[in-house]
Amino acid sequence: MTATERSVVGVSFRPGEFEVDSDGDGHLLGSRCRTCGAHFFPVRHACAGCLGTDLETRRLSRRGTLYTYTVIHQSTPDFEVPYMLGYVDLPERVRVMGQMIGHESELPLGTPMELDVVPVGTDDNGVVLLGYRFVPASGTGADEEETGND
Amino acid sequence: MTDVHVIGIGMTKFGRHPEHDAAELGGAALREAIEDAGIDARRIEAAYCGHVFQGMVTGQRILAHEGLAGLPLTNVENACSSGATAVREAALSIRAGEHDVVVAIGTEHLTSRFAGALTPDPSDPEAAVGATMPGVYAMRARRYMAEFGMSREQLALIPVKNKRNAARNPLAHFRKEISVADVLESRPIADPLNLMDCSPVTDGAAAVVLVSDRALRRHGADRAVRLAASALRSGSVDVEPTSMTFEPLTHNTANDAYEKAGIGPGDVDMAEVHDCFSIAEVLRVEGLGLFEQGAYPAAVERGDADIGGRLPINPSGGLLGKGHPLGGTGVAQVVEVVRQLRGEAGDRQIEGARVGLAHCRGGKAVGIEGAACTVQLLVR
Repeated sequence: MTATERSVVGVSFRPGEFEVDSDGDGHLLGSRCRTCGAHFFPVRHACAGCLGTDLETRRLSRRGTLYTYTVIHQSTPDFEVPYMLGYVDLPERVRVMGQMIGHESELPLGTPMELDVVPVGTDDNGVVLLGYRFVPASGTGADEEETGND
Repeated sequence: MTDVHVIGIGMTKFGRHPEHDAAELGGAALREAIEDAGIDARRIEAAYCGHVFQGMVTGQRILAHEGLAGLPLTNVENACSSGATAVREAALSIRAGEHDVVVAIGTEHLTSRFAGALTPDPSDPEAAVGATMPGVYAMRARRYMAEFGMSREQLALIPVKNKRNAARNPLAHFRKEISVADVLESRPIADPLNLMDCSPVTDGAAAVVLVSDRALRRHGADRAVRLAASALRSGSVDVEPTSMTFEPLTHNTANDAYEKAGIGPGDVDMAEVHDCFSIAEVLRVEGLGLFEQGAYPAAVERGDADIGGRLPINPSGGLLGKGHPLGGTGVAQVVEVVRQLRGEAGDRQIEGARVGLAHCRGGKAVGIEGAACTVQLLVR
């Protein structure tokens, strides 16, 4: 657990999609279809695979592999450039976009990545908003098993 | 069921129009299309207007200027496919037997609404983490380069080709040829894409007059071009991660159009495809089945996609050269195909073109490959 911002206290910037534990770990929230097992991000009301509507909201794995990325040099005023943006494929067979650190060094496609919590601003009351990004994974990857990938 | 025919086309100069708004541009294109058709404007029975950022009732503002207010009018938003969707809706109203003479207009005054990189809607989870449209295509480019060995120089040949074509198109935004070095040295936008890999912020409009068989008999078929198919799909949600180097949305929409028209990709003589970014042209033509997957960069290098090549792609200059006024783009593609099939494309004429394809797609939302895609087949 190498995340740099772990001591930051705040609230999720998008509570329906992302939550932060009291211990500081961040989790993306997705849907699992109880009928066919497909997973989705973000939470859906029906399964695009079987059209089943029996879906449960679950935390998705915090680790995955880098599918592709770019370094953004022109964006909206909400984002300071440059920043690295990429897609990470999670073990549940869900692809999630996120910013990444390391825009100065190229990452090989397929690099193991893990979710990290990062402050992204403050709300109207000055409370810190916490978002997510991906960083190259450290350790064994054992936490993939926490979420019961199926 | 009646066929649908294009009998009139109109298009403004694409570029920056600080002195005009979207309704004025749309009106200018519509007037030209009516004049080109040689019909009495009183015969127009309905109108469809595609735009993205021009606000409520843009189509009504156009018709009010042109003396045509009162017609059944539908404003259409489908991201970069808005204009193409307006053409399709117009065609459907004719096929349904509801109308015999219908106009489709696409317009956008983008320079007054927007600068820089287009993004998904701010409510989207990917927009919330910094997604931009050039960023998404840059990621696809990186993946394509890794999977198929396309070089950065090969990718740069696409804007070079399209701006060479645009230099022959008096209505194009850009009229200057560029080199591979110009592309590689232009400002970085989203690695590996540079400024010249990206379509510009453009104002412009285009319009077409569509008619039924019955109206065509009365009008005369001399310069008519048949709209043999007009297919539309929205992007489906991925049930699992899929390759970002192939476009099921483009592929499936094209197959709908090929099936409806009884035409295969091998019959197509020329195509206008949605080259919003250099890499996009690669993904489009391969998704459409016009080139084998992985083969297009080398084909461009050989000149296969040039005017005079085996299968010319974007002879108008495409979005990269002609410009990309979002709502105007899909209608302008149909205008170019009609010009080519009529043999009226001047310096950029493709000899003997009989079957043309227009492909548009646009928009992005989390979990789907693309938002809206249209494929239209035109036959002379």
